[in-house]
Amino acid sequence: MMKRRQFLISASALGLAAAMPGASFAQGPLPVLLPPWVTLPKEMTDSYAGGTLDVQTLGWDEIRTRIVTSMVADTAPASVTEMDWSWVGQFGMAGWYDPLDDLLSDELKADLPTTSIFTYDGKLIGAPYNNDFRVMIYNKAHLAAAGVAAAPKTMDELLEAARAVKKAGVADHPIALPLSASEGAATAWYLLTKAFGGDLFDADFTPLFTDPASAGYQAMAFEVAALKEGLIDPAATSLKDVEVQELFKAGKASFDLAGWAGNLAVYTDPSKSGVAADAAAALMPNVSGVSRTFGLPGALGIPVNATDKDGAAAFILWMLEEKTMADNYRLLGNLPTRLSVLRSLNEEGRLAQGDVLIAQAELVEPLFAQGTPGWYPEFSGAVAAALNAAAKEQITVDEAMAQIAEAAAAAQE
Amino acid sequence: MTPRRRISQWSRRAGLCLGAAVMVLWSLAPIYWSFLTSITPPGGLVSSGLRLWPEAATTEHFAKLFGATSVSQGNEVQSVWPQFSAAFANSLITSGLATVVTVILAAFGAWAFVRLSFPGKNVIFIAVVATLAIPAYTVMIPLYRLMIAAGLIDTYAGVTLIYVSAFLPLALWLMRSVYQSMPLSLEEAAWLDGASKLRAFVQVVLPLAGPGLVACAILTFLSAWGQFMVPLVFSPTLATKPLTVLIPEFVTRNYVDYGLMNAAGMVAIVPPMILVLFLNRFLVQGLMAGAGK
Amino acid sequence: MAVLARFLPSREARLGLTLILPVALIMGGLVFLPLLATLIDSLFRIAPMKPGTPFVGLKNYADLMGDAKVTTAWVNTAAYVVMTVVIETVGGLAMALLLNAVTVGRRWLLAIMVLPWCLPPVVNAIIWMWIYNPAYGPLNGLLMTVGLIDGPQVWFNDRGTGLFLVSLVHAWRMMPLTAIILFAALQSIPAELYEAARLDGAGALKRLRQITLPLIAPGLTIALSQSTVFAVNLFDEAWVLNGVSMDTRSVIIQVYVTAFQNLKFSAGMALSVLAMVVSLAVSALYVLRVYRETRFE
Repeated sequence: MMKRRQFLISASALGLAAAMPGASFAQGPLPVLLPPWVTLPKEMTDSYAGGTLDVQTLGWDEIRTRIVTSMVADTAPASVTEMDWSWVGQFGMAGWYDPLDDLLSDELKADLPTTSIFTYDGKLIGAPYNNDFRVMIYNKAHLAAAGVAAAPKTMDELLEAARAVKKAGVADHPIALPLSASEGAATAWYLLTKAFGGDLFDADFTPLFTDPASAGYQAMAFEVAALKEGLIDPAATSLKDVEVQELFKAGKASFDLAGWAGNLAVYTDPSKSGVAADAAAALMPNVSGVSRTFGLPGALGIPVNATDKDGAAAFILWMLEEKTMADNYRLLGNLPTRLSVLRSLNEEGRLAQGDVLIAQAELVEPLFAQGTPGWYPEFSGAVAAALNAAAKEQITVDEAMAQIAEAAAAAQE
Repeated sequence: MTPRRRISQWSRRAGLCLGAAVMVLWSLAPIYWSFLTSITPPGGLVSSGLRLWPEAATTEHFAKLFGATSVSQGNEVQSVWPQFSAAFANSLITSGLATVVTVILAAFGAWAFVRLSFPGKNVIFIAVVATLAIPAYTVMIPLYRLMIAAGLIDTYAGVTLIYVSAFLPLALWLMRSVYQSMPLSLEEAAWLDGASKLRAFVQVVLPLAGPGLVACAILTFLSAWGQFMVPLVFSPTLATKPLTVLIPEFVTRNYVDYGLMNAAGMVAIVPPMILVLFLNRFLVQGLMAGAGK
Repeated sequence: MAVLARFLPSREARLGLTLILPVALIMGGLVFLPLLATLIDSLFRIAPMKPGTPFVGLKNYADLMGDAKVTTAWVNTAAYVVMTVVIETVGGLAMALLLNAVTVGRRWLLAIMVLPWCLPPVVNAIIWMWIYNPAYGPLNGLLMTVGLIDGPQVWFNDRGTGLFLVSLVHAWRMMPLTAIILFAALQSIPAELYEAARLDGAGALKRLRQITLPLIAPGLTIALSQSTVFAVNLFDEAWVLNGVSMDTRSVIIQVYVTAFQNLKFSAGMALSVLAMVVSLAVSALYVLRVYRETRFE
């Protein structure tokens, strides 16, 4: 198989190379593939002692396509690449990334609670460097105007608070939640499943959401009912997470229920947000008295076919250094993954809503206790489509749950 | 001129004006919306109701594109000008090269397909034109392997070659139809004067094929200008990365910079527009002007 | 000698082959060779998450037949093809005729006309995302201002409306292509033909049907074929505006989801090969039809 393909390619490559004298691959600086928000400024790259860096950035949706294309074609996209939490299962199953267990010291691993998210089949294949997790973000002024004294702690309190805000006419649709057929809508449902005190799957990946009493079922029923009641904007069925965030920033919504921790910095920035003075964070509401949330961090990994693995390892260690992480937050706004760095930033008073963030950060769990499975993207796409169809009342919540369970079974085959 | 004729001319003119107005509105309304977004401060984007001018217009997004530094989240940060200018140049170079090569190959190739007889002529032509139907994803990964093997990743030559292979079929087909509609008598006259076939083509036919060539040039340049999938995979760094791949990077993890993206879009439509204004002269020269009419 | 000459290409054939050689090399190396590799790959099971790449024959293709999602995607794509080809052809022909008739300010009209096609795709997507946005988009604002609707509409809640709106964006962007192809064809019609027809007393519509359309038939075929091909390949517009929703999922979105998201690589490639076959078949219909009606070559 490979031979035939290789032959076709090299036959024509010879022709091309003959036609293009002088075109050759330069070996030199370490190629690193990162998303645009990690465009390392000169100040940081200058302080890197391990040689020169060739930082390549690509838009978020594009990075994955590039990595998959390269890996299927048996070449490394770069010596170090971004790795999202949601890719871990696939990339691990495909055997595309080197294990990093020996690279990180035990001390460092202990300071990085999210390493479990990047563990596949017992091997660590990504070093988390860019933190994100879900937290509830709300508008203090809206709550005060509606006579709600404190941020809701339970899901029932949340409903009451939202109703009060709507009744007081402060916001027409107080809860901002995306319900379009997009990944952001699916992850919001996962978060609400945790808020209702449950999980998506058991240890054998059997769905736990088909029973009407289950947390997952209740979470989706909650979303559909809130939409029907007008607590969620009817427009939400075609809004993605970033569009829903615009509603919050414009003061049209009171709760960014599935808020991103990293978003607080934007919400509290007067040049970008209309509610900068009023945005505040609170622990995720829940039903059991213990707030739950899950992490969506970004990591760095080394493709198995990378050309400069030593350089890659050195770069990853540098990115995890305390100073780099602090700079990464100070200059680019990327939240640190190391708890120690988060705490020291908070002590210096540089973390917006730092106390809440740190309290929530300590509660962060992975979405899948066993590690993100390889079929996650397929499953998540089915969740997005079913949730959207249920919100549009094309199908019932019951049918949506059945569809998702079916898709999960099909994806696991 | 009879009154009746005058009335019909008037109604014709009114109809044309109306048609032109509809066309301008259709083409420009969404672009005007993009322009509005590019001059609206980030906080003023979400407002219900229709607005034809922002409450407080701003040039901050354009300043971020062109300035040396700009202000973001209260801090002075590096502007995007270094990346933006490099990507802008890359877009111009790759689209320009692809256009020149495609038009030349199509001009000669299509003529050969029409006027010369050689073995395999029809099969080759049909096969080449049929490649129009191949989705980009179908060939992307084998092509990537090939480009790696040839060392052409992230080079102008590599991207240009791929663009040419993608846009040549349409250009060939278009030029073939142009040559087919030209009377053979034009060339035959030159042959009788003793000119070789190739010389007769270059001296007599080519100048008359202006509108077709210009249409090919516009089609190729604009198609290359808007390309996304090809450079996404084949132009990993700013050495060849074009605007279409750079602009999505203005979406940060927590913030979509709509103003900046639209400002970049407004700048990106300028070069093709200038090109079309410039080439228009050749596009509308009557094909048969001054020859054998 | 004479026998040998018969097998050696003639001077003319040599010139022809020389001129075609670069075309053949580029197309052969960069399109046919990769296509062949993909065709071969589509007969194997290439899925990075599964070990090995066994030969499976036509199984990838057979599996596509029974997949309800694939069927829905085909239905959506068929709707896109019909709507966009009609809008682009009617609108593009109107634009081309207008450009052909206008004498004052034609270059500016032409420049304005191509603008939709100059926008980078991502900017195009953002513009329309905002225009259709049900919470704060100007389409709702406009329709409410003129009183056509009472309250804001969530456009993509209805499948038919969603398919139409996606088609509209695609047609808006691609229409200049059709217009330029047809305009170039119109420019080659000698004015005398019209003059003669007018003297015969032919009305504008009759002139269009009897002179213009037959004469630009080759251009029309090209325009129809390319708009069909682009419609079958529709991806960006539906992806950005409505994500993975089955209501608007096109075949190429299904290819992307299968191959790049779910990493079932050869299954995705098999579907992309089918998409190619379908756009070829539809285009061939136009070409043969026009060829039969204008057999004067």
